Amino acid sequence: MGLRWYHFALWGAFIVGLALLPELVSKGTLRTIIFANYLAIFAISWDVLSGRTGYISFGHPFLIGIGAYTTAILTKRFGVPVEVSIPIAVLTTMAGGLIVLLPALRVKGSYFAMITLAFMELIYQLVQVVRPDLTGGTRGMSGVPTLTRGAVNGFYLSAFLMVSVALTMWLLMRTRLGTALSAVGMNEESVRGSGLSATRLKMVAFLLSAAIAGLGGAFYIHYLGTIAPRALFEINFAFTIIVAALIGGASTIIGPVIGAFFLTFLLEYLRPYLPGAERYLIYGGVALLLYMYQPRGIYEVIRQGWARVRGLA
Amino acid sequence: MTFRLTTGVLALSAGLVAGAASAEIKVGFIGSLSSDTGLSTLRGAEIAVEELNAGGGVMGQQISLVTADTGEDVTEGIKAYEYLAETEEVDFIISGSIDDVSLGWLPRMQEYQIPTLDTWTSYIGIIDMVVEDPETMAPYFMNIASDEALATLYINFGADVLKGQMGFESVVILAEDTAFGGAITGLVTEALAPVAGIEVKDIITYDINTNDFAPIFAKAQASGADFIYQVSSVNSQVVSSQYVKLQVPMAMTGVNVAALGLEYWEDTGGAGGGISTLSPVPSVGFELDPASQAFVDTYQAKYDSRPKIPHFNGFNAYHGLKQAMAAATEAGGFGDAKAWAAAMIKQDLKLEKDGQLWLRYGFWDYDTVEPVTGRTYPHNALFDLEAPYDFAQPSMVVVQWQENGEVGVVYPPEYANMEFSLPSWVPSK
Amino acid sequence: MLQILIQGLLLSGLYALLAMGFTLIFSIGRVLNLAYGSYLLIGGYVYFQFSQVMGMPKLAGVALAAIVGVVMGIAKFRLIVKPLKGDHVAVEISTLILAVVLQAAVVLVFGDSSKILLPIIPGVKWLAGTAIPYSNLFAAIASWLILIGLYLFVRTTHTGRAMQAVSMDPKGAAISGIDSDRVNMITWAISGALGAVAGVFFASYTQLYPGMWVGPLIIAVAVVIVGGIGSIIGTLIVAHIVGFMEVIVSAWIAPELRGVFTMLLIIVVLVARPRGLFGREEL
Repeated sequence: MGLRWYHFALWGAFIVGLALLPELVSKGTLRTIIFANYLAIFAISWDVLSGRTGYISFGHPFLIGIGAYTTAILTKRFGVPVEVSIPIAVLTTMAGGLIVLLPALRVKGSYFAMITLAFMELIYQLVQVVRPDLTGGTRGMSGVPTLTRGAVNGFYLSAFLMVSVALTMWLLMRTRLGTALSAVGMNEESVRGSGLSATRLKMVAFLLSAAIAGLGGAFYIHYLGTIAPRALFEINFAFTIIVAALIGGASTIIGPVIGAFFLTFLLEYLRPYLPGAERYLIYGGVALLLYMYQPRGIYEVIRQGWARVRGLA
Repeated sequence: MTFRLTTGVLALSAGLVAGAASAEIKVGFIGSLSSDTGLSTLRGAEIAVEELNAGGGVMGQQISLVTADTGEDVTEGIKAYEYLAETEEVDFIISGSIDDVSLGWLPRMQEYQIPTLDTWTSYIGIIDMVVEDPETMAPYFMNIASDEALATLYINFGADVLKGQMGFESVVILAEDTAFGGAITGLVTEALAPVAGIEVKDIITYDINTNDFAPIFAKAQASGADFIYQVSSVNSQVVSSQYVKLQVPMAMTGVNVAALGLEYWEDTGGAGGGISTLSPVPSVGFELDPASQAFVDTYQAKYDSRPKIPHFNGFNAYHGLKQAMAAATEAGGFGDAKAWAAAMIKQDLKLEKDGQLWLRYGFWDYDTVEPVTGRTYPHNALFDLEAPYDFAQPSMVVVQWQENGEVGVVYPPEYANMEFSLPSWVPSK
Repeated sequence: MLQILIQGLLLSGLYALLAMGFTLIFSIGRVLNLAYGSYLLIGGYVYFQFSQVMGMPKLAGVALAAIVGVVMGIAKFRLIVKPLKGDHVAVEISTLILAVVLQAAVVLVFGDSSKILLPIIPGVKWLAGTAIPYSNLFAAIASWLILIGLYLFVRTTHTGRAMQAVSMDPKGAAISGIDSDRVNMITWAISGALGAVAGVFFASYTQLYPGMWVGPLIIAVAVVIVGGIGSIIGTLIVAHIVGFMEVIVSAWIAPELRGVFTMLLIIVVLVARPRGLFGREEL
């Protein structure tokens, strides 16, 4: 896998730094970091499906929503303990991942992007119409059991999840599987030529992505304590996830994490200066300019900057 | 990593600055800063704060107001509540949130136990949460009458005016496919036939993103009913404007949330004439008592952008914030949320007009059963469902927009200043 | 029955106009312009500002909306599509971000509340127990005229034939000396104008509000997926399938499932015929 000493050092520093954060920053900042952690998980999940294989999904909230709704309904309506409901949510989301896989077997590119958008719209409509007694209909549900209380506990749980997901995916992507997945994104035909099954690789990517989305979605909803269709199946939510992954740097692990933190903090830190609608304008504008400047993301900007510094030295 | 540490340091210093200025009472506003709804609550609160500060503040301290925009987004609402609670560390929160946004941040309120007053959402499910979980919901108050009471008044309107005056015998219900639509439709259908003696011919549920209502109105006409009962809170101006544009030859009344503000006429370009709707009080076209009128005068002198007259929740915020401060004075501050709640629930503001009770700002306690609906409404605004409304104001009134743009209250008679009438293109029965 | 026919025709005409600009870009530029809905949004607000607020003649309002649409289309091509060198994913993502930015800008300028446009022509005509607002009739007829004009333009003019060539085979077109940059820019301009005018009609059908770019975008996506990269005629036919399905679902089946049926149509067609009903034809 080509692990080096500095890999361990960087990951170690990252984890220690996260563990120390509650001593260093205010509770309000911790709350913002919690949202950034969950967004990072979603962005990593999106990146596995779309960033690696090139099948751009505009309907990623479809998967996250399946996980979130499954565990919310099980715990809130049927009193199922979270130890049981979260694994079920992950499995259900993986089944959802197979649904997204179906069109990917036949169409690619923009067609696939559009059909995922249709999936999200479909589930958005269905959640409100079918069995509102279970889903809470348009208003959703409040009072979903929460796992933690307080900013510090919520932070540790979300940081643990985020680091686990990031580290697992980082290791996984350094195996031959990761290389093969990226090859699907580069050129599907050549993958076939080299004797690998592109379909099976796509299935692995979609299932992995769905598992992470389900896990993240389930814990996210047990953190929020509330679930609303308008908050989940929204083009704006899809937008945030995609932009986080891309602005950080697709096809990397640290990229989506950087992107998620950047977007979340950008929006939150504008609040005191621009309380109203200007905030979203500046937020979107910065994202657009940054993305146009370097479509490969902040990771690439840092990498090139670092290379230049080393070149000078 | 450096990125993260820098933001940490920034946040730390921000926290220190916020902590240093705590010798005052800090009120947080949560709601949209771009909607008429949100702005009504915010401005009502701003005026109340100014008046209290001019009078020497509360408990010798000045009040400051900070805002947290939700953009009417549920997740942003949760972040906004967290921001108020943990970054701004406010003492009290006043909310102009819509239903699902309030539901979104409620778990945070239960956790932080910050005294909170909701002025817009009327979702009965939140009052049910107070009933089920009085411990953690103690700091929550809602000073607008809940949905349950809203539908009940409408049955009386049906019996007295629609059936009594107009001679309508049957109705077709046109309800949006939302939780609100479902709840109101249920309440109305259960009571219309037995109480008002109006037969429900059909119930049509529609998708809130419907672009074209022509087939739906045709279906309503085909039902053979005498009038349409509309239940619409989202995009309701689309339903009513297409009703006017299509000149549907059937009377239509009901709940149309868009018609609750004075900007309705301007926003619909006049394509809203003839529409009548239930409205929380004080509604558009509502005659005001002197105290509330003084508030409107101050409001209009201070703000020249829309909404030109605050919506009902602006009044709720203005009176409610003062009551919250009075409760804090009695309870020795906002620190002990339970003590504050105990004082808040006893607040009682009776506003009179021409020597009669006109508006009352108070709250139901845990034990009193409202006689008409036969249930309790702890922490919900007081309301009265029976004439002559000497206990409190009615939960809602019916207002109507005339084709010339005038608006007024048509029901109940004690508050009416206009007659209910049919649009010119609708044949009378 | 007649009623369904009338209502279906009125709505479908609007949908055809609304989807056409999106199809054009997809056929010629091969990219999804996810900010397509923003033409409708901005077009609608431009018309509202000039005609309803400032009281300019209605036709002038529509014309101004179209001009703003053209400017937006060219700006998008010059500032986003060209610098990204036709990278599909990058264009799609940037246009999505742009759509969100433009929505925020509209909220900032006009506020959050919805507005209803005055009918372009007031009045109602009754036919077979069906109300036909003159305004909707005008919108449907105008849509048809615009689409016929577009068809003739593409079929008969030099520029139109160049567009066809680029749509069929960009490389071949380049070899035969067609300036594909110019063709692309003209297409983006036409698409912008179509979108902005569709926005005026769409808003006068329903309402004007900052989130109104999503709904029409979904309809356009539905039409393009079901129709496939294709002909003007194909888009026209599929717009009628989508429009009539909506009217029939609303009138006979279940109005609350309106959107569900459209989404199911997309998914079913795409799984059954990945290239859409009308496959890959010339423009």
